Amino acid sequence: MIKKAIANSMQKSPWLYHVNTGSCNGCDIELVACLTPRYDVERFGFKLAGSPRHADIVVVSGPITSQSKERLLRTLEQVPEPYCIVTLGSCPQSGNVFKGSYSVEAPIDKFCHVDVAIAGCTVKPEAVIAGLYKATEILKKKREAMNK
Amino acid sequence: MEYLKILFNILVFPGCLFVGAMGLLLSGIDRKVLARMQKRVGPPIIQPLYDFLKLLGKETIVPKAANRKVFLGAPVVGFAALVVTAALIPVLGYRAFEGSADLIVLLYLLTIPAVALIIGGSSSGNPYAGIGISREMVTMMSYELPLICIFLAVAKKVGGSTLCFSLSQIAAYQQANGSLIGCVSLIPAAAAMLLVIPAEVGTQPFDVAEAETEILEGPLIEYSGAPLAVFKLNTSMKMYIMTALFSALFLGGLATGVTALDVLIQVLLCIALTLICMTTIHAVTARLKIEHLFKFYWTVVAGLAALSLVLVWLGF
Repeated sequence: MIKKAIANSMQKSPWLYHVNTGSCNGCDIELVACLTPRYDVERFGFKLAGSPRHADIVVVSGPITSQSKERLLRTLEQVPEPYCIVTLGSCPQSGNVFKGSYSVEAPIDKFCHVDVAIAGCTVKPEAVIAGLYKATEILKKKREAMNK
Repeated sequence: MEYLKILFNILVFPGCLFVGAMGLLLSGIDRKVLARMQKRVGPPIIQPLYDFLKLLGKETIVPKAANRKVFLGAPVVGFAALVVTAALIPVLGYRAFEGSADLIVLLYLLTIPAVALIIGGSSSGNPYAGIGISREMVTMMSYELPLICIFLAVAKKVGGSTLCFSLSQIAAYQQANGSLIGCVSLIPAAAAMLLVIPAEVGTQPFDVAEAETEILEGPLIEYSGAPLAVFKLNTSMKMYIMTALFSALFLGGLATGVTALDVLIQVLLCIALTLICMTTIHAVTARLKIEHLFKFYWTVVAGLAALSLVLVWLGF
């Protein structure tokens, strides 16, 4: 019963950690907009955490420049299990307008798994909320899989 | 039978279970009301319970640079100290343990959770935690002086010619002569106590030690999983303990003598005090710098407490 309660809580209290891998700041602002009184994601229990050790959902924005790739991987290694990776905007998925640049490692799925990809340039706050909510459902499933 | 009663007191009623539940309830109400003050919907009131259970279900990582035993032991020490503190504080009229120098013991017990945070943070080996613990130490020093003055003022008022440090006698005095907040000489001390509560708990304007936007939660930065859950629970429990201590010192006259009714009144008082001295101040202020916090506590708050002390000594 406690394990079931923990799995349920996993969905109800996801803490976000935001990694900017060379983003233009557009998507970052839209993510912060979700925390404002207008959209208020805290009603689902979302909270912005300062340290990757506290994170449940890692939000990645930006086209992953060669410089930031290593830092991104090092950050992901520090997140305790179970956690989800959500990409913000088109950049991490395809490289967007930066595609083909010598300094961009774009598709993120080359070096880590992605649970939810939110498309858009920039993303809409409504889309961010929908995507993050989907990530919480995946989190719960991951925790239930750990119970078995 | 005697031992069973002590066990019950520590584990269930004024101790562990009760104070844990009250702490989670108070921090849930704090978050909800804060959200409503900012025109947000806010999380459900049981959100802190979700956070606690979720953190229990996360992996616990111990950093390579950390001292494993100290790193994992620190939150438990803080938790144990808070449970004992809660068992010592009377729930209005109801009193689990008797003692003749409770206030002095309380003064020491209340520093243990902060010291546990400092030890845990310093054992993690993170530079941000280093900044956090130095700030935590300064915060501790700044609210300790006013707190001692407040305790002395109350002890002098109740004891008369001798100082009275027993919480039972303070409660008995208030039941006979009305709440201490009604005395003119103790009103500045009560105001000072209301300002000490947020610093002790570590809420918004005084949360310099755990400032998550600048030093990423300071001492807690390397914690994950169950130890982090215990630290978060400790913070919530401090909310209940400090508000309960305020009502024990200044509002003891409200006791009715019926235990169930007393508990209900205590719960309502704690909620009201949380809203007054934590949520409202949180909603209208921004975080102070550490030197401003120190200056504020050693001038304004300590001044209020000292004024009260002088008035009591002069016999008002």
